This record gives sequence, C-alpha cells and structure tokens, in this order.
Amino acid sequence: MTTPMLEIRNLHARIAEREILRGVNLTVPAGEVHAIMGRNGSGKSTLSYVLAGKADYEITEGEVLLDGEDILALDPSERAAKGLFLAFQYPIEIPGVATMTFLKAAMNAQLKARGQAEMTTPDFMRAVKEAGQSLHIDSDMLKRALNVGFSGGEKKRAEILQMALLAPKMCVLDETDSGLDIDALKIVSDGVNALRGPGRSMLVITHYQRLLNHIVPDVVHVFSDGRVVESGGKELALELESKGYAGFDEAAA
Amino acid sequence: MHVPVRIGPAEAKLIEQLGSRGAAAAAERLAQSGLPTRKVESYHYTDLKMLLRTVPELASAEKALSEPVFRVPGAHRIPMTNGIADLDGTEPAGVRAGTTKGSALTERDDVLVRLNAALAAETLRLDVEGTVGTVLHIDRRTEGDAGHMNDSVHLFVADGARATVIETFSGSDEGHLSNHASFVALGAGVELTHILLDLSGAGATSFATAEYQIGAGAKLRTVTIHVGSALSRINLFARFAGEGAHADITGLNLATEGQHSDITLEVSHNVPRCSSKPLFKQVARGRSKAVFQGKIVVAPNAQKTDAKLMMQGLMLSDEAEILSKPELEIFADDVVCGHGSTVGALDEDSMFYLMSRGIPQAEAESMLVRGFLEEVLDPIADEQLHDALESVVEKWLST
Ligand SMILES: Nc1ncnc2c1ncn2[C@@H]1O[C@H](COP(=O)(O)OP(=O)(O)OP(=O)(O)O)[C@@H](O)[C@H]1O
Ligand SMILES: [Mg+2]
Repeated sequence: MTTPMLEIRNLHARIAEREILRGVNLTVPAGEVHAIMGRNGSGKSTLSYVLAGKADYEITEGEVLLDGEDILALDPSERAAKGLFLAFQYPIEIPGVATMTFLKAAMNAQLKARGQAEMTTPDFMRAVKEAGQSLHIDSDMLKRALNVGFSGGEKKRAEILQMALLAPKMCVLDETDSGLDIDALKIVSDGVNALRGPGRSMLVITHYQRLLNHIVPDVVHVFSDGRVVESGGKELALELESKGYAGFDEAAA
Repeated sequence: MHVPVRIGPAEAKLIEQLGSRGAAAAAERLAQSGLPTRKVESYHYTDLKMLLRTVPELASAEKALSEPVFRVPGAHRIPMTNGIADLDGTEPAGVRAGTTKGSALTERDDVLVRLNAALAAETLRLDVEGTVGTVLHIDRRTEGDAGHMNDSVHLFVADGARATVIETFSGSDEGHLSNHASFVALGAGVELTHILLDLSGAGATSFATAEYQIGAGAKLRTVTIHVGSALSRINLFARFAGEGAHADITGLNLATEGQHSDITLEVSHNVPRCSSKPLFKQVARGRSKAVFQGKIVVAPNAQKTDAKLMMQGLMLSDEAEILSKPELEIFADDVVCGHGSTVGALDEDSMFYLMSRGIPQAEAESMLVRGFLEEVLDPIADEQLHDALESVVEKWLST
C-alpha cells in the first residue's frame, strides 16, 4: 500500500476550553483532490489552522501524518518546508513588508531547509513573473506591502501565486473561491488545476458546488460539528446543494 | 529653605571638572541641586543621579585611531575626534567649514546643556548653501582611554538650500561618557534631512542635545536613532521661527539587554501656520528600557498649527520596558493637534502567516520588526544612506 499524502487520525483540538475538532478522520492519497464542505462554524478553518500549526489550539488527541511523517510537533515553518501549504480564508495584511521581499524570503527559506541552493535574483524574478502572468496578477500589486490594500479577490490570487511558487506537495485551500468574481474564479481554478499532479494532493474547503465544477474533486467530505460525517464522490456536493446540511446532522449525532 | 542634596561620586567629579574649566556658576548649580532625579519631570524616567555612577576624566585631544564604524558610500565624511574637527578643505561645493569657540547650544535649564556649554572647547561650524548633492557625514568620535568628552556642531543652512546631513556618535572605549551638542538652523525655504545616529559602544554613556530652529517655509526631516550605549539620553528641541514650515521629526529607539535609552522631544510652535509630525518607534528586548517623551507647545499666536505626535512601541521580551509620554500644551484656539500611542508585542497572526510560508521564527520576527521600523527609514531619499541605515537596523536585529 502506498503512503497517503495526508492522514488525519481521530484528531481532537480545543481552543479557549472549547472542543472544536471532535475526532477528525480523513485520508488524502497522493495525487488526489478532496473537497470539504460544511456549515459555518463547523470547524473547517480550525482544521486548516491545526494542520498548518497555528499555536492557539490545544491538540488533545490524534495524529496528523504528512507523507507518513507525524507533523504535530513541528512549528509552522517546518511543516511548510516539508511541503504543506495553507491558502488562508483571510490572508493577513503585513504593512512594512514588501511582497517581493516576502516571496523571496519564503522560497529561499524552504530551499535552505531542504538543503538546496538558494535562488538567484533573476531566476526568482522570472518565476514570479511567469506565475503572476498566468494568474493575471498586476506586477504593480507585487510592489506593495504584503496583502496591504489588496482587494478580497487580489488577496486570494496572491495566495495561489504563493502556492505556485512554493510548489508544496499538500495544499489546503480554505474558501479560496469566496470573494472571487466569475472570471477570477476561472483564472484561480485554472491556476490550481495546473498544479494538480501525481505528487501533489489538495484539500479544498468550500461552500459552493460551483468551485467544484472547475476544480473537480476525487472525493467530497461533509464536515459537521468538528468531524467528517460523510464522504463520497463529486455527486455528494450536488446532493448537499439541493438538500442542505440538515440531512447529514443525524450522521454526526 | 533649600536643603542641600547629597553629592555622589559622579556629581563630585562633574563639579570638579566644571571648576577646572572655570565654569564656577555651573559647578555651583550642580553642587546645589545635583543631577536630576525622577522628581524632575523631564528626567522622570531617566533618573541620572541613580543611573550615572561614575564619570571618567575629561578627555584630551586625540587623533582618530580606530576605523569608522559606519560609512555612507558616496558621502563626504568629516571626522571629529574628541571635539576637534579634522578639516582638510575638501568639503563639497556649497559647504564651508570652520570652527568657533565654545558650545553652539542656546541657554536652557538642562544639565546636559549646561555641561556642554561649560566643557565643549570649540564648535564645528558648517555653512551650507545651494543644493548639496553629497551627503555630509559628521563622524563624531570619542577616542583614547575612557574619557568624558563634550563636543559641539553648528549647522547653518542658508535660505533655499537643500542638504542631507548625518551625525554619528561612536567611540573606542566602553567607559566613555560623551555629551554631544548640535544646533541646526534652517533658513527660509530650506529642505533638510538631518540624522543623528548613536553607535557608541554597548557599555558607553552617550548624551546628546540637538536644537532645531526652523525658518519660514522650510521642510525638515529629522531621524534620531539609538542603537549603541548602555545609558543614553537624547534631548531634541525644535522651534518654528517662520511661518509655513513643516517638520517630520522621527526616530527609532532600539534598546537591547542592559540598555536604558531615553529620547525626549519638545516642539515649540511659536509662529502661525506650521505643521509638525513627530513619529517615534521604540523596540525593546532583553532586560532593557526605552523611553520616549514628546511635548508639543503651541504659543497663543501660533494659529493654524497642525501637529500630530505618534509613538509606537514593540516589546520583544517580557522583561523589557517601553515608556512613552505625550504632552500637549496648547495656548492657541484655531489649531489641529493630537497624539497617539501604541505598545504591543509582535502580532501573532502575522507571525503565523509568515511562518506558514516556511520562514523560520527568528527570520519572521526580524521581518516584522523591520516592517515596523520601515515607516521611519523609508522617506530617507538618499538611497545609499537609506540602505546604510537599514543595515544598522539589520545588524541590531541579528545580534
Ligand atoms: N479563539 C476562539 N475562541 C473560541 N472559539 C473559537 C475561537 N476561534 C474559533 N472559534 C470557534 O470555533 C468554531 C469553528 O470555527 P471555524 O472558523 O473553524 O469554522 P468554519 O467551519 O471555518 O466556518 P466558516 O464556514 O464560517 O468559515 C466556531 O464556532 C468559532 O466561533
Ligand atoms: Mg472558515
């Protein structure tokens, strides 16, 4: 049996005395794209943060294996260097840090952590230019401070730009479609699809079936009250769209 | 009735030194009141009586022996060692350099000003005219064995002139006590960037007083940066002397393990229609104390004054202290004045975001600190000077 790219076993996490993740079990094999759908507040972003290593949460039980390796003891930068990437639902604005400086620091830090040579400036510029063009990102935008003054849609595109440049093996996309207009949704989805491949897996969190017409998932999971309550093929998303979440609550109970 | 104060060893030494230079009145004054304690409002957070334990012998004339600790590529450097400027007649066009006797400071009720007035033997006077494209760097150093050194610079910028001047403080010995004075006069319509950078040794004591007199329609940007010296107090006095002038008075107060660094500013709006935007950022780490006091005084006739004081602090350790005190004294009614103050730790969400991209913790911290300070360094137009100052900050962050 081949090692799954991501394996989450009975994961429990709490914040401020409140248990948000209540036994998540989820396996994403290498090369597959899985979608997670679920109500507001069901814990989807919490799961993405816990995977990326945000310090606010207390993990009380469970395991997270990335490509067979337990990552729960690693800090966020170490997880990133191992190939995990989270596209944030709400990307953070960082005044005073130039976007290009940030991109270069991130790319070189990951190369360094993997014992590879740092990128030369011309190679870096070329990579950013290419990735930016395919995502229709205005080069003036990249001259500004990181995410500062970016529109909602621009922030989401910038997340995918980062993803393209960092070439992670496990991508978690938290509502990347929210805030995107119809054209941008297409552009971003094309960008994501271009990154699909045998060595790369994705976990796509979304509320809308529409995104899944563009990024067609191998598996859809329904998330409710801090755990996966149902998994199925892409038709599960259509079922959710017509029936709502109510029918799945019993499964959680 | 005046109760005489107990005189400690540092005060006794200073009194003796003042006496030896014939400054009887200043010696008498110090003997009467001693060094300022926390009871003196302007020294409330920097109790010199407690903090200044010893005073070394008065420094004698020395040749500059050590290499400059800071260079700006392309700048014209004027070395000034133990108060004596080394002028070689190669000043760039538009700059005349000479010396005058005594200190350049005006009389003020401040112990550092009184000490400099009594102990600075001569003043380097620079007259600047026209547009000076070359950055002027006054490299003020305290050399030789541990010494108490007072030096003075008078910068006179003629009507309509444009220039960028940086003064650096550094020295050869950790035991030095340096007390610097700068008087900067801006004529009408001048555009001046003036930078003070304290790079004294980590154990040294560094005091400085800078006075700015700002002529009509002038534009002044000042950047005061503390990096070196264990004990530091920098007095900044800015006075508007002509209408329609603007001053961006900015600074970075960086304090690390064992340092106590105080920047105290007073801006006097004495004439109508001037604006001032003081912006000071403080970063403290280890067991250190960073102090900023900012006072804006608006005289009764200074109508249409626009003054906004901002102070921001970043704490990098639990043992560090950041103190900031704003004060507005407004005697005119048709003015816009305000102040704001924030102190906090590094933003955790920002740290998480950077680290989630693979940037290790220490590097992410240093990116955020640089980002925090950038607002002060960014407006420095001369690129090489800007970069040189960035590397000073960078070095501070990495050590
Ligand atoms: N710091 C916190 N303290 C207490 N509760 C929190 C905290 N952060 C998140 N929560 C709670 O955890 C629950 C799950 O939040 P989460 O953001 O993971 O939901 P979500 O599924 O991503 O929702 P949405 O679809 O709206 O993005 C919510 O009820 C939220 O209020
Ligand atoms: Mg969410």
